[in-house]
Amino acid sequence: MAFKLRCTDTKELPSRSRVAGNLAMVALLSLAAGRLLAQESGVHYLHQGVMPPGAIGSRQLQRGGPLPGFFQPVEIRAPAGALVSLATAGRFDQPQPAPLCAGLLIGQVYRLRVVNIPLNAGREVFPTIEVIDRLYAPPDQQRRFAIPVELAQPDLQMALDGKFVTRVIYLEDPRSALPVREDPKMQNWFDVGPRRDPLAVADSLGRPVAILRLGARLPLPDEAADMDFLFGCPPWTRIPVPGATQANTGKMSMPPAAAPSAQKEPQA
Amino acid sequence: MTLASAAESAEASRPNLWRMALIALCALILCSCRGPVQQAFDPSTVAADGYPSLPPAAYGSQPAVALAADRPIGPSGTQQPAPLPYMAGGPWAPPGISQPWPKDEYLQDGGDRELPVAVGNQWQVEGLEPEDCVAHFDTLDGRTLIEPSNRVYVYSPRFGAVRQVVSLVSNDKFSRAAGVYLPTGPVGPTSTQPVASSTQNILADRQVGAKLAGIFRSRQGDGAMSTTDKAREFEQDSFLPYENVKLIREGILDEAEMARLTRGATAALAWTARQAAQVILDETAAMADVSDQGLQSVFTVKAPPGEVKLRVIKVADKQFAEPGEEVAFTIRFDNVGNQLIGNVTIIDNLTTRLEYIADSARCSLDARFFTEPSQGDSVVIRCEIADPVAPGAGGVIRFRCVVR
Repeated sequence: MAFKLRCTDTKELPSRSRVAGNLAMVALLSLAAGRLLAQESGVHYLHQGVMPPGAIGSRQLQRGGPLPGFFQPVEIRAPAGALVSLATAGRFDQPQPAPLCAGLLIGQVYRLRVVNIPLNAGREVFPTIEVIDRLYAPPDQQRRFAIPVELAQPDLQMALDGKFVTRVIYLEDPRSALPVREDPKMQNWFDVGPRRDPLAVADSLGRPVAILRLGARLPLPDEAADMDFLFGCPPWTRIPVPGATQANTGKMSMPPAAAPSAQKEPQA
Repeated sequence: MTLASAAESAEASRPNLWRMALIALCALILCSCRGPVQQAFDPSTVAADGYPSLPPAAYGSQPAVALAADRPIGPSGTQQPAPLPYMAGGPWAPPGISQPWPKDEYLQDGGDRELPVAVGNQWQVEGLEPEDCVAHFDTLDGRTLIEPSNRVYVYSPRFGAVRQVVSLVSNDKFSRAAGVYLPTGPVGPTSTQPVASSTQNILADRQVGAKLAGIFRSRQGDGAMSTTDKAREFEQDSFLPYENVKLIREGILDEAEMARLTRGATAALAWTARQAAQVILDETAAMADVSDQGLQSVFTVKAPPGEVKLRVIKVADKQFAEPGEEVAFTIRFDNVGNQLIGNVTIIDNLTTRLEYIADSARCSLDARFFTEPSQGDSVVIRCEIADPVAPGAGGVIRFRCVVR
């Protein structure tokens, strides 16, 4: 009967007001959480630059937003004279002089073949491009503001020398961008040591949008058309370069229904 | 007593209900606050790849609307309808986020960003940050007022790269020495061990002479010598093992054969003629198992006499600019109040990626321009209008920049 000794007027009212206060606080927190969700940044806290090709992009797709199915224009730049080709339907397309502009899907890995490298005639490099985020350019400006992926001569040379080069291309934060005038034909880049994560550094400088990897092993003769080596030949769109004439302008290349590798005869 | 117990338990359970409701609500919020914003499925919003997520505008397939074209900018109650310039804008922005979006793809300039700009008694300006563009002026009653401009957006993303080069070391093998060969030389002269004992040859004292046999014994019978070598009368042709003693063969008792002969005599009871030496061979074989917003802030003045108002509008000639391109800015200022204002000063702190082209600033009124380095390694342009600005009057300032 201890409850009879309590004064209900002095016990219940404070507890109810306390509960009401807690509810109000929860409501405010929920509103703040909604605002935070809208302001969530795309920093790759759990990703590393050494992750295998395709891993970062595929997880990026899981974050939601208008990413799946969007062909992000990418401008592939290479030294003068070099020829670049993308893989299509189990084989590399006709080599074309740079710059090559193509719409690439986010989260997919695209294998390139670079031939006719200056000072390295007859040698080939097979870089990969993984687009991990997109741009939201105004209408009709997507091509003009494509993501530049630069196959620099020093990088190609190092890849030929057996080194593995990773370039994380990021969109600079305009408020913290270097206050220098950039050569439109060149891209500002920073070198980081082997013990640092280039993706984390890029995150601190802006918003990573693509990863370029050079220096992968050369394919064996029977692997050049292997879907595993070509990462399944994901679809891409050919974007016309102003002033250039191309026969397949605007045509989307799609992989065949069955991979050539799946058509091989089983070996005993 | 039963009713009292029921009332007590009901009273005791009342706070628990509140607590349980609170816990349930918190759990519900925690479970739903990080989830993606779900939208009702609309077949028209299905992307080309079949993802039913966002409107087509999100994928850049629709032209952008003229942002805020119908939305005047200015303090409440001072707007007046006026055509505004086209502003750059992306195709889409998440619900609840203002365009243009995302902001990191646009150069922004104008307005009063974070800390509010303040002007001191000696017209010193405080709180002017990069991107800020404000005007301050003096009123007849001695006040100094500040009016920020609108914000201009220019779509100009710039990219950088972070490079990492690593070398493969798989072909190198580092082996450490397994041991050290260090020959050790003699540490001192060889000591000679003396002979502990010696052997001395002792000559014989005397000669031992051989003694010749003195007796010859022969057995002779029947007139002929019997030299039986074999016991021909037995079944075997030779003597048995136990018979190989002289006594048996020749009948001569030799003392050297006495022990053997005694043993043989003791075992004679067990020996038979069929017994012989046996050898057992074990034949078992051994096994061996081992990877831009450009915009005019237009104000409608419905102010009572004595109202002071300055309108500052900033616009850019481009909505999109690549690094290296030149962008021209125009600032229009008008005295939309009904009082004379003086010491009109327009200050623009350019953003980091805008490089001011020297001596490109011009003003339609008599004015003096000053530039000084800013915090963002750009410049602050300061334009001081020489004469007071009458109500309804105004001027235009133009200058050019290069996008870095």
